[in-house]
Amino acid sequence: MATLSLRGVRKRFGTLEVLSNIDLDLEESGFLVLLGPSGCGKSTLLSIIAGLEEASGGDVLIGGRRVNDVHPKDRNIAMVFQSYALYPTMPVARNIGFGLEMRKVARPDREAAVQRAAELLQVNHLLERRPGQLSGGQRQRVAMGRAIVRDPDLFLFDEPLSNLDAKLRVEMRTEIKRLHERLKTTIVYVTHDQVEAMTLGTRVAVMKGGVIQQIADPQTIYEKPANTFVAGFIGSPAMNFLAGTLEVEAGTAVLRHASGALRLPGLTEGTGAAGKPVLLGIRPESLSLGSGAGAALSGTVDVVEPTGPDTHVLLDVGGQQVTARLGPRTGLVHGDEVTLAVDTAAVSLFDPETGLRL
Amino acid sequence: MAEPRYRGDRLLNLLTYAVLVALAVFCIGPVLWTLLTSLKEESEIITAQVAYLPSHLTFDNYARLWSQSNYPTLIVNSLAVTAMTVAICVLTGTVAAYAFSRFNFPGRTQLMLGYLVIRMFPAVLMIIPLFILLRNVGLLDNRFGLAVAYTSFLLPLYVWMLKGFFDAAPKELESAARIDGSTRLGAMFRIVIPIARNGLVATSVFVAIAAWNEYLFALMLTTSEGSRTWPVGLQLMIGEYNLPWGMLAAGGMISIAPVIVLFAIVQRWMVAGITAGAVKG
Amino acid sequence: MDDAAFSRRKFSVGGPPAGWSRWNPARWLGELSETRYWMYLLLVPSLVLILGIVLYPTLYGVELSFQIMRLNRPGGNHFAGWSQYTRMWSDPVFWLSLRNTAIWVTATTIIEFTIGLVAALALNRNLPGTRIFSVLILIPYFLPNVVAGNIWALLLDFRVGVLNDILVRLHLLGAYKAWFADPNTAMPAVIVIEAWHGFPFFALLLLAGLKGIPADLYRAATIDGAGRFAQLRLITLPMMRTIIAAAVILRVIGLVNSPDLLLILTQGGPGRATQVLSLYAFQTAYKDFNFGYAGALSVVMFVLLMVFAWAYVRFSRVNEE
Repeated sequence: MATLSLRGVRKRFGTLEVLSNIDLDLEESGFLVLLGPSGCGKSTLLSIIAGLEEASGGDVLIGGRRVNDVHPKDRNIAMVFQSYALYPTMPVARNIGFGLEMRKVARPDREAAVQRAAELLQVNHLLERRPGQLSGGQRQRVAMGRAIVRDPDLFLFDEPLSNLDAKLRVEMRTEIKRLHERLKTTIVYVTHDQVEAMTLGTRVAVMKGGVIQQIADPQTIYEKPANTFVAGFIGSPAMNFLAGTLEVEAGTAVLRHASGALRLPGLTEGTGAAGKPVLLGIRPESLSLGSGAGAALSGTVDVVEPTGPDTHVLLDVGGQQVTARLGPRTGLVHGDEVTLAVDTAAVSLFDPETGLRL
Repeated sequence: MAEPRYRGDRLLNLLTYAVLVALAVFCIGPVLWTLLTSLKEESEIITAQVAYLPSHLTFDNYARLWSQSNYPTLIVNSLAVTAMTVAICVLTGTVAAYAFSRFNFPGRTQLMLGYLVIRMFPAVLMIIPLFILLRNVGLLDNRFGLAVAYTSFLLPLYVWMLKGFFDAAPKELESAARIDGSTRLGAMFRIVIPIARNGLVATSVFVAIAAWNEYLFALMLTTSEGSRTWPVGLQLMIGEYNLPWGMLAAGGMISIAPVIVLFAIVQRWMVAGITAGAVKG
Repeated sequence: MDDAAFSRRKFSVGGPPAGWSRWNPARWLGELSETRYWMYLLLVPSLVLILGIVLYPTLYGVELSFQIMRLNRPGGNHFAGWSQYTRMWSDPVFWLSLRNTAIWVTATTIIEFTIGLVAALALNRNLPGTRIFSVLILIPYFLPNVVAGNIWALLLDFRVGVLNDILVRLHLLGAYKAWFADPNTAMPAVIVIEAWHGFPFFALLLLAGLKGIPADLYRAATIDGAGRFAQLRLITLPMMRTIIAAAVILRVIGLVNSPDLLLILTQGGPGRATQVLSLYAFQTAYKDFNFGYAGALSVVMFVLLMVFAWAYVRFSRVNEE
């Protein structure tokens, strides 16, 4: 397995800058997820890593070697496409072994490798069929089989689960994670689904507008998002942003917001912004029924959404909407006045103008 | 395909341009040479040494062809026949194409298959009986009769191409119109046809060009100047009256001018219709 | 509710705008359009035409082939059974025409397909300027046969043909050649001209086929290590089998059935070097007025075409798709 390094990679289409100054390192056997909304440049970046597109500037290094001028077939990579891109006129066995066939691998070796890959992905009973005769999930497996059969240094996945229905998506997600743990491959995975990013990646790079907003392991991204975009993109239901002014009273930080003051005893960072307007980021699960140690929010219930395991309650707090994730039986209805306790150790402070974390 | 990346791809682009230029020269070169010839003095055309560039351009050939032969009559006849052919096709074929596109009725596939079989009929097989038929009805050597004969092979093509265009118009719009109170007829005229307008124009132009160009049927089914169309007339002048090259070239250019202009205008939509219709076949 | 259900109802929803007089034909048509017979009504005009001027003449033509009918011999025609066909069997011109037709159609189709494929591949790259090139390249197909034929007659003329001049200057030819007078060059010349005229048909259909192939397949193939030629051979062409079949069958039908270019350029000469079946049938009808024999020749052409189409589809694995 190899490492991947991107140094100052840029991409421009005419006057449009699609990728700006991408710097990242991926260690061996790492699983990097490029996460972001449509148009953020993640697929373009993947194409550049693959060699299907040329970077306008910067260096791409695979295994320590600069590969900017190296043809995709010589980069020792494999790619799984959103549309699977299986060759429709060839049987599955030939699809999987196509890369080996193009590299003039002898037939017995080729067939053995195809057999191994097919068994690993449980498609060995489909080897004689054509892609058109397979279901979506089966096609996905064949596409992955084609990728692993050559035992490449780097695996690239371009939103491979987007075309599957919800249930199948969860199954295949687990399958991919299992494969990663078993084969210890180095993977770059593109998706817009933050659940996939959180469950699969060892590192997640959140992208927007061609710029990496934050790159870290999933837990850090979740607990300490670098800006409001990352904070709002990860986590469902989305993080609440409460606008107010930060004050320091008797050694404790306090947020003065439209309908009251919220004491933040557990707050350790960002207190340098005292006296300035801030955005307080509170995740819905950081709110619970009760009044807590003085760190509480009061509001009027607007909508109650039971999900089965919990209830999403949308509150109106002094004109701002706040979503709380509470237990399954809350007994709350529209119009109720309720007070919720805030877990102040898990909140984040952001500058309202730049969106950056304080 | 991916944008050019490596030196190999830039080479391929160069090769592609070379191919495109070579093909363009191959296709248009002969036409341009004919155009050039039509503008030369006859003396310059039949010299022993080929004159690549004329010493001066002249419209003499055009003037003589127009005034000294019956070419104007031929053109007018062709215009009349073409117009009538297109009219018949549009009037009868549009509604048929609509029916094929929108309704599923017993015998639909058989009829569509029948169209394919009709295409296999040799023109000669139909010309003879058509000759007899038109003669019996008194429409032989008659412009309207010729138009009717043309529709025999152009109407199926018209219906086929237009059906492809109608298929591309979403059916939900008509359902919405009918819920709003329109009749099927109203929906057809007020909704679908305006949407498929491009297709209608392209298909009609295609039929017009085919009718304008037709030689074989016109040769067999017209005998006198009164209804003769330009392809037959021009070829007759060449064969029997030894038309000089310059005037021949002029005659050719006059007759293909409308074709080229029409084609350039509607080529985008025409291409869509031909490929849609032929692929389904 | 789909249209079938709609027409099963006994009343019509909505209807013509209030204020239209009872006798307004548009209103009458509108109400008619709601009946279950509307779809058949739409078909009637064209169906009548087709039956009248296509089906009836064709059947009559087939009937003629079983008769002896010469238009210019008064005394009528009489039923002749299979005699026209037996006459064909022992007619050397028929066999010669058949052979020439096979050569002509095969060579022209292969050349047209090749040039058309190259053109389609080049146009598919969508480099800047493709629009203009596609218009220029497609033009020969839409030119009338009369003009196309005479354009090339001018180019290849024995005395003033500029192609002769160019070839002589390039030392590829010793002296000006009378292409259509030499039985060895007449057929190749006509093949080239017909190919010039017809290759845009292939270019058009093949281009449509190329555009239907997803780009991701080529990206996957590039990563798999397939070069451009391998991609063409293993991905592009196999995926276009159906379109290729349609194009070839349609073009062969067109080539066999219409003698236009040959009629203009060679009339089957010199001698019988370029005599093909369609031309032979036409001349039998037009010059000899022997409608019976011409009809028989046409029927044979038709049957041969049907057999060809069936055989091609059957043996080219197209039906696997």
